[in-house]
Amino acid sequence: MQILTQLVFSGIALGMIYAVIAFGYQLTFATSDTLNFGQGEALMLGALVGLSAVGFGINYWLMIPLVCLFGAIQGAVVERIGVRPAIKMKSEFGWIMSTIALGIIFKNVAENVWGRDDLKFPSPLPEAPMHFLGANILPMEVLVVVGALLMMLSVEFFNRRSIYGKAVVATFNDRDAAKLMGINTGLVITFSYALSSLTAAFAGVLIAPLTLTGATMGSVLGLKAFAVAIIGGLTSGMGIVVGGVILGVAETTTGFYISTGYKDVPGLVLLLIVLALKPAGLFGKTAIKKV
Amino acid sequence: MKPKFLIAAGLAIAALAAFPLASGNPYYIHLVETIMIYAIVLFGLDIVVGYTGQVSLGHAGLFGIGAYTAGVLVLKLGASIWLTLPAAIALTAAFGALLALPALRVTGPYLAMVTLAFGTIIQILINEMSFLTEGPMGITLTKPSLFGHQLDETEFYWVVAAMLLASLVFVHRVLRSHLGRAFEALRGSPVASDCMGVSVYRYKVYAFVISAGLAGLAGALYAYSEQYISPNTYNFEQTVLFLLAIIMGGRKTRTGALLGAAIIVMLPKLLDDLEMFRIVSVLLALIVAVASAVALKRGKSSLQAALIPVVGSVALAGLSFKLQTMTDWRLSVFGLITLFVVYYLQDGIVGFVRNALNLRGHAASDADSAAQLPAGADALSKAGGATSQGATLLEASKVLMQFGGLKALNEVDLSIKRGSIHGLIGPNGSGKSTMMNVLTGIYVPTAGAVSFAGAALAGRTSSDIALSGIARTFQNVQLFGEMTALQNVLVGLHHSFRSNLLDVALHLPRYLRENHQASARAFGLLRFVGLEQLAGEEARNLPYGKQRLLEIARALALDPQLLLLDEPAAGLTAPDIKELLAIIQKIREHGVTVILIEHHMDVVMSLCDTVSVLDFGQKIAEGLPAAVQADEKVIEAYLGGQAA
Repeated sequence: MQILTQLVFSGIALGMIYAVIAFGYQLTFATSDTLNFGQGEALMLGALVGLSAVGFGINYWLMIPLVCLFGAIQGAVVERIGVRPAIKMKSEFGWIMSTIALGIIFKNVAENVWGRDDLKFPSPLPEAPMHFLGANILPMEVLVVVGALLMMLSVEFFNRRSIYGKAVVATFNDRDAAKLMGINTGLVITFSYALSSLTAAFAGVLIAPLTLTGATMGSVLGLKAFAVAIIGGLTSGMGIVVGGVILGVAETTTGFYISTGYKDVPGLVLLLIVLALKPAGLFGKTAIKKV
Repeated sequence: MKPKFLIAAGLAIAALAAFPLASGNPYYIHLVETIMIYAIVLFGLDIVVGYTGQVSLGHAGLFGIGAYTAGVLVLKLGASIWLTLPAAIALTAAFGALLALPALRVTGPYLAMVTLAFGTIIQILINEMSFLTEGPMGITLTKPSLFGHQLDETEFYWVVAAMLLASLVFVHRVLRSHLGRAFEALRGSPVASDCMGVSVYRYKVYAFVISAGLAGLAGALYAYSEQYISPNTYNFEQTVLFLLAIIMGGRKTRTGALLGAAIIVMLPKLLDDLEMFRIVSVLLALIVAVASAVALKRGKSSLQAALIPVVGSVALAGLSFKLQTMTDWRLSVFGLITLFVVYYLQDGIVGFVRNALNLRGHAASDADSAAQLPAGADALSKAGGATSQGATLLEASKVLMQFGGLKALNEVDLSIKRGSIHGLIGPNGSGKSTMMNVLTGIYVPTAGAVSFAGAALAGRTSSDIALSGIARTFQNVQLFGEMTALQNVLVGLHHSFRSNLLDVALHLPRYLRENHQASARAFGLLRFVGLEQLAGEEARNLPYGKQRLLEIARALALDPQLLLLDEPAAGLTAPDIKELLAIIQKIREHGVTVILIEHHMDVVMSLCDTVSVLDFGQKIAEGLPAAVQADEKVIEAYLGGQAA
């Protein structure tokens, strides 16, 4: 029982990371119906840039805004190079392939800059576990949960309350109408990509002290976060938190009771099943197709 | 053309077969062998990506399943190649069917992610199921033996070459048959495919199964060719490489697949050779610069747009001189090439050359040869079945279609007499097109029942309903844009084919006969609507009015008892409308019942036997055209109520 509680707690922390990345998918999908297939790489770059910054002697907490800034720029670059031309050409295949290509390039560059080996990210909080309900919890895990929730809430708050956020929501509802109302929808889409990569980079520095940091850390995370986005529905904020927790717990328990080698399998299988049975996700609404 | 083509093909095959003898270098023999194996995968991948238009990131996984099927069978059972190849094809095809299940529900980015997840799972399973696959250690095997003779590198090369040729012929024949047209139709318009009796579900599964089978065959050959397989070969990068090869070579061509395979096999070798890479990148930069300058001069491109590829390729060339070793940057180069191809070479190298030289594809020449076929007595003759004129053909009772709170159709009754032309009119948004969608099974009504020719439509799929005799056209034209006019009509004739995969692959008499008949009939139908001159033209290039006529021809190909025309005269000029009237009259004379939605009142009044009027989802009037025209409620619906 104690072990199970422990697994659930680590699962929740992991799940929140998935939720943050999935949140990034939602942001871009909302404005432009596109996704960054290199979202995992944005997270990886965030973590590695953070690691270098800490290496230069910058404090962990001061480093976070820097990483966020870097993430935002990286996201804007992805949008300009990979997504905007494809949207202009109305080519779905185009943006899928170009964001994949950019992801591969980022990964390869990271491999060449930071090396192929996984690196240890120094933990900003004490590494001694706290005791709660008979289970050991790392302070870092608490930080991950709190940080992830804060991140998502602040973006949501921004979208709902500020006039810029209203532009984002308007673009989501009807891109053409928003354009006619004088909203620079191109800028909104760029902004959503910047925000999306920013959250991913932020998630990167949050998770990095708990796992190892390296060029390959992003790919599978990105894929599993997509599973979360699908399970939760691409339009439901509540859904991804629930989906993230489900997946995180499924993963830690699989890793413990079956084999760590199989820990990625439940998420991916869940993705296949949800898409085969209820493509709009557990919390999403089904769109009516028009003929 | 035909004998010339045969001679060229013969020469190519001879050159391919003679290559190992002429070269004698095992390294090059192995290189060409790998190209051929990749080409087999790409033939299959092209079916899914090029024809049905789905993005698959799972083909490296399928390739791996093929390789491991062969590897494990050899390792555990010492199986011969006679067992391993069929087993690899069958097992991988089964996995392809599995992969197609989610593909039935989702498309685009969702499908890309699903197939990516599938590929990742396969890689994990291969890694973890050590009891079967030896895990990360990999499996070592030897070249197979044939008839008790151990094959050497050269002899195995010939086996691969034979397989390549077999796959080439197989894929080519399948894709030019009704099956290939069905695949292509899915991409053009899934809704229209279903309404032409081509089940989107079924043909997506077919496409994935055939595609996977080829990947399996290639995988098994690859295992023998490399003599060592390990899980990491079948990763994400491999998948992206396959996709890159398809789009770079050119979709929907076999030459493109061969070319793409050659490029992705040669490119890593090229990157290993720094000198060579520098030369090639400088040449590339020059070509891009010249091409952009020409485009700019001809006014085909703006300065900004033209500058990006030039700067990119010059940067690449500069980079090649800066770096000491390219091998580590291999993936970045692949990434850059992918970006370049996606934006500047969308039709691939083959498509680019074809466009530049104005070459016509097979489809257009097929149309020419169809024109030579003897015209049948009457292309429409099969339609109808002029039994019991005046009996009720279609009966809709209390049909309710609700979207959220909106009742698009509110308890509408409709009764259509056999052999009549029934008008359905009403202001915009009154529910006419919704009615069409209910009748063709695209929408499932919230309540109410529809029966056609005595059988209820409830619970039947669109394609099933189409095959039972309801054909339709669409308000916003839903043609298969990349297919020729003739091919569009042939998709409508899909139901007339009984041939299976074997008939098609071996060109058995049944397939040849059916294909011949269908082509003649399709051309006849084009003649019926006056499009015979445009048979070889791609549908998306036709003028709007002609596209509407083509939709009618395609719908007639289904041999419908009931034809639903959704605003056929919209956007037509006055002389075109006259022609349309004549065509609809002729359709009726052949015993086909017609439901006509139209805003042109003169068309409705001159053609229809009965007219029903919808307003806000309710039927407000029904009767003879003249009576309806005089009905006060109708006038009110169209012109607004009188101030009381």
